[in-house]
Amino acid sequence: MEEEKIISGYDPAIMRRLLGYTRPYRVLVIGALVSLAIATSADLLLPVVIQRAVDRHLVARYTRIPREFADLDELREVDVAEAVALSEAVYVQDDELVALSGVMRRRLVEEGILEEVGYYVFRYDDATIRAFDGRFEELAVDLGTHDGEPWASIRAEALNQLPADVRRVVRDADIEGLRRTTRLFLVLLVSVLGFTFSQLYLMALAGQGVMKDLRLELFDHTLHQRLGHLSQHPIGRLVTRVTNDAETVNRLFTEVIINLISNVAKMVGSIAAIMLLNWRLGLVTLATLPPVLLLTLFFRGRAREAFRRVRLYVSRINAYLSEHLSGMAVVQLFAREARARREFNGKNDELMRANLGEMYVFAVFRPLIDLLSSTSIAVIVYFGAHFLLRGLVSLGVLIAFINLIRRFYRPVMAISEQFTIVQSAMAGSERVFAMLDDTDRIPDEGSVDRLISGQIDFERVWFAYKEGEPVIRDLSFSIEPGETIAVVGYTGAGKTTIANLLTRLWDIDEGSIRLDGVDIRQYPLQRLRTIVQPVQQDVFLFSDTIRNNITLGLDLSDERVKRIARMVQADAFIERLPRKYDTPLTEGATNISTGERQLLSFARILAHDPRIIIMDEATANIDTETEQLIQHAVQTVMENRTAVVIAHRLSTIKNADRILVLAEGRLVEEGAHDQLIAAGGIYYNLYRLQYQESPQT
Amino acid sequence: MKELRTLFPYIRRYGWSYFFGVLCLALTSGSQILIPQFLRVAVDLITSGRFELGRIAALMAGLLGVSVAIAAGRFGWRSFINGSAMKIERELRARLFDKFTELQPSFFSRSQIGDLMARSTNDMNAIRMAASMAIVALFDGLFMTVAILIILFAQQPGIAAVAIIPLPLITMMTLFLGKVVRTMFRRVQEGFSDLSHQTQEIFSGVRIVKSFVKEGYFLSRFRGANEEYQARNMRLIRVWGLFFPVVTFLAGLMTLILLRFGGEAVITGGLSAGEFVATLSYLEMLIWPMLGAGFTVNLFQRGAASLARVNAILNEEPEIRSPERPVATMPSSAISIRGLSYLYDGGEELALRGVSFDVPEGSILGILGRTGAGKSTLLRLLLRMQNPPRGTVFIGGVDVLDYDLKTLRSAFGVVPQDTFLFSDTIRANIGFALDEPDEQFVRHVADVSTISRDIRILPNGWDTQVGERGVTLSGGQKQRVAISRALAKDPAILVFDDALSAVDTETEELILRQLLTERRGRTSIIVSHRVSTLATADRIAVLDQGRLIQYGPHEQLVREEGFYREIAMLQQLAQSRAPHEKD
Repeated sequence: MEEEKIISGYDPAIMRRLLGYTRPYRVLVIGALVSLAIATSADLLLPVVIQRAVDRHLVARYTRIPREFADLDELREVDVAEAVALSEAVYVQDDELVALSGVMRRRLVEEGILEEVGYYVFRYDDATIRAFDGRFEELAVDLGTHDGEPWASIRAEALNQLPADVRRVVRDADIEGLRRTTRLFLVLLVSVLGFTFSQLYLMALAGQGVMKDLRLELFDHTLHQRLGHLSQHPIGRLVTRVTNDAETVNRLFTEVIINLISNVAKMVGSIAAIMLLNWRLGLVTLATLPPVLLLTLFFRGRAREAFRRVRLYVSRINAYLSEHLSGMAVVQLFAREARARREFNGKNDELMRANLGEMYVFAVFRPLIDLLSSTSIAVIVYFGAHFLLRGLVSLGVLIAFINLIRRFYRPVMAISEQFTIVQSAMAGSERVFAMLDDTDRIPDEGSVDRLISGQIDFERVWFAYKEGEPVIRDLSFSIEPGETIAVVGYTGAGKTTIANLLTRLWDIDEGSIRLDGVDIRQYPLQRLRTIVQPVQQDVFLFSDTIRNNITLGLDLSDERVKRIARMVQADAFIERLPRKYDTPLTEGATNISTGERQLLSFARILAHDPRIIIMDEATANIDTETEQLIQHAVQTVMENRTAVVIAHRLSTIKNADRILVLAEGRLVEEGAHDQLIAAGGIYYNLYRLQYQESPQT
Repeated sequence: MKELRTLFPYIRRYGWSYFFGVLCLALTSGSQILIPQFLRVAVDLITSGRFELGRIAALMAGLLGVSVAIAAGRFGWRSFINGSAMKIERELRARLFDKFTELQPSFFSRSQIGDLMARSTNDMNAIRMAASMAIVALFDGLFMTVAILIILFAQQPGIAAVAIIPLPLITMMTLFLGKVVRTMFRRVQEGFSDLSHQTQEIFSGVRIVKSFVKEGYFLSRFRGANEEYQARNMRLIRVWGLFFPVVTFLAGLMTLILLRFGGEAVITGGLSAGEFVATLSYLEMLIWPMLGAGFTVNLFQRGAASLARVNAILNEEPEIRSPERPVATMPSSAISIRGLSYLYDGGEELALRGVSFDVPEGSILGILGRTGAGKSTLLRLLLRMQNPPRGTVFIGGVDVLDYDLKTLRSAFGVVPQDTFLFSDTIRANIGFALDEPDEQFVRHVADVSTISRDIRILPNGWDTQVGERGVTLSGGQKQRVAISRALAKDPAILVFDDALSAVDTETEELILRQLLTERRGRTSIIVSHRVSTLATADRIAVLDQGRLIQYGPHEQLVREEGFYREIAMLQQLAQSRAPHEKD
């Protein structure tokens, strides 16, 4: 295999074309994107929920505002609806005060409008008072009615010194709130689970669909290409396009595009959440991010280069290995083992160096990204503390920031690794599209459709497989309907080519081939190939059942298939097989003999019942018994048809109406057997050498 | 898993590297465990509401210092451990290739190239992963799990005990799903290979498909396989797609449990806010080791399986090797075959039956026989590409089994029947046998085989790349390069195995004439089907069904009644009348 393009840059044209294939799966893709949006949002809400729990319930702290100041203009910003108003003062939860600016807040504290010490307010009843064990009067700072129930306030310090069970009673509302939060958290977790899965599943369904369609298109496209075109490409490479390369396109969808979207969404989402939670600390956090961007951009180039080198050396070592494993005998015959080892070691070392190079790129990048993540956290905590001192941020928000910034950094690594997949997938798609764009078919523009009697005319036909090396030169002959013609000649005389030209597997370069007086290019290709069918020398059977190998998908009744098999006397061996007509053939049909394979190919021809057959007789040695069966079958097949036989068997030649002798693509002799023998020309020689029972094989 | 033991000697060779690697790993893991402690102290300070900003700054500086240590440690273990694993991989691969060069042709004919390639590439990857990531995950996982659990239980045994409940579920799921997914994954791969196989088959039979206008039928067959493959993929995704979301869910459950019970502890004063935050971090740090536990087992299993496949080849005993006290010089190139019979392993009929003849030094032996007569076997035994029975094949009076292999093979120049050229320049291919080819002589042997005529018109002349990545030479051109390649080493014995089959008669005659001049007075063996070629030999051996049926000079054999004369007559006839054949 040539060294194929391993990676390729991002190409928007290819991407657009690929996206075109998603059109039938639009609903799935939209579903996946919606799922993605929900899952990502739910995921980002998790730290926010924790923040709320911490601020509202865990470290709940109230600031006391004496009654007389409660209506101050400066406090307009504060949402007093949540505040608890008792007899002497109004108590506002600390995270509500974040709305105030730092300067304003400091002024209010200095003016004694906001108290500096923290308080806690709670609803109480007799049980609460009992829990205080007689110290309620002493500790409760302020009493009052809130929402029609008795409430009290207590200094935070005093509360924290109470035993755990008393605190549990006092803070019963917070514990209840924690329970509610936990339930919300669970709902979010379940939605993340459900929607992440549905996103994955829907996208996979779409990606698989695209891959399936693309594969089918590739396969169909290849099948309709000109045989001459196909023969220029190794089958292995064609298969790779349809299988592996189509697979990388699927990876592009299921692994790259959706992950890229999801990761970018997560990163953007965490930044958005950060800014919404607290824009001040958010801006500080943003300031720590540019290095990540720079590092990633720098790394991207390095990673691509390292990846390319690894792939290059892997493919070199593979090429070397596959060649030397096949040619090891030559290496040994020439006693060149030591040199082969030296060469291999050189390539092996290069590969290791490339591997090491790639490893170092990642060994530097990943720890650095983590280090940057820690730097961001350190900066957040420091400035967070700074703002918190001034009451500009709450503890819960600080914790949420730490959590969110980790969520921001997590996809960075994944995204940078996806670069390499994008590149190889791009190269794969490029190859796939190049193959689809390379259309080279036999033109099929004919429209003549009528009953065919089977008259064939070759008129001054020239043909070359490779330009400048004509195989057929100025060949002319005619065959009458129903005639049986034997074509003989040395190897390379152009005998087999006649079959290829008559069925238009290849088109001739000059002259014309006519069928019932009409140029074969005037018939629809399908019609032509239903009229003229070949029986090949090397019988190609598919690893499928005997029946399917005969019918090739024709809808024939069991009776008919059996009758056909009987006609060529293939029924005897088929009936002996374990599952008769349903016996599957192995690859290369190794489970039946060469002769039996021939009989099947005759049955196949009878099933398709063409007007004209071109038979390339097999030369293989077959046991006498089967040989007789085949001779009989050949006669059956040729009955009532125009038959062109590229003959190897004497009996066939002798039974032919006429013999055409080819040499170097030209017709050199023509006539009946006895006639030609008497003439003592090429045929006479051929006859002596190849057809007489000679000892040479 | 026992196979992994064979990896120890390699790992020991890089013992220090692994030692430092593990040290770096310990530095990383140990430092990572410190990070939540910095956060704990900072958060507690912050909650207290009374603190100096300087203290926070100092703490964060400490956190950064530890982070730098983590980064350094990570770089360290990657370089030490991954680097060593890559060196081990290189060494194993080199040893594997060494072994390939020692193994006899029969080994290659019973193995599939694709499989041997897989052992040198995919299996090597699996071994490398076992020698690097698996070891890292094992140490790191154990250390982190134990350390974190100790810290958690020391600080808050009650909460720790509840919060870690989902953890073993993660490991169990990895192990269980691993098994299920493996089966499903195999089914997907089978589906893929079925698809490839169908594609391969239909493309190979494309002539039939077109001739019978069956494009539609085969398209529908392909569609079936294509859809089946898609269905299997989706079945896999249904299970595998759940894996990471469920892991995330279980990890979320830990946070949830901590929030519920740890939160209550914070409210009632059993836990400080800082401890709450630290515990949250610790629990998060436990997820990877738990996931890793399942993967580690997997990596080790795959590594062991791959190592077994590689070892199977490394333990293969080469059948053909130099004897312990080899004869290192060849006294003469006279060949003598004594009552040679040979039966292939698993063969039913003798390939050679009691063959005896002599080729005096400096003479030319011709060999004639049908396909399967034993010609190739005879040559293989002579060259020790297969071991002959002791006391049957002698060169210069020494049993070929007693020669040093290099001495023996260096004496021969072989033009094999199937020409195999390497993807290299024409020059390199002709000079293949030589360390420093003499330019002049290389040009001379290219003239002898007449390939020099073709080289002149090739795009890059002598430096034209041939083979898969270069110019495709015709069969005849390849054969002529191969002839030059054999002549370039000016061998004591030339073996010519029907190597002109793809060359037209005229050129053949020219080559033979030049070859005979070149080889005058040197020992040569020429296998051919053409009597005109054989006629130039001093003696001709005619083989039939493993027996030597005729032996003597051409003049004698054409006079004798027998196979040789029959062939000679037939070909004479053809010669006189048939036009020239082309390749």
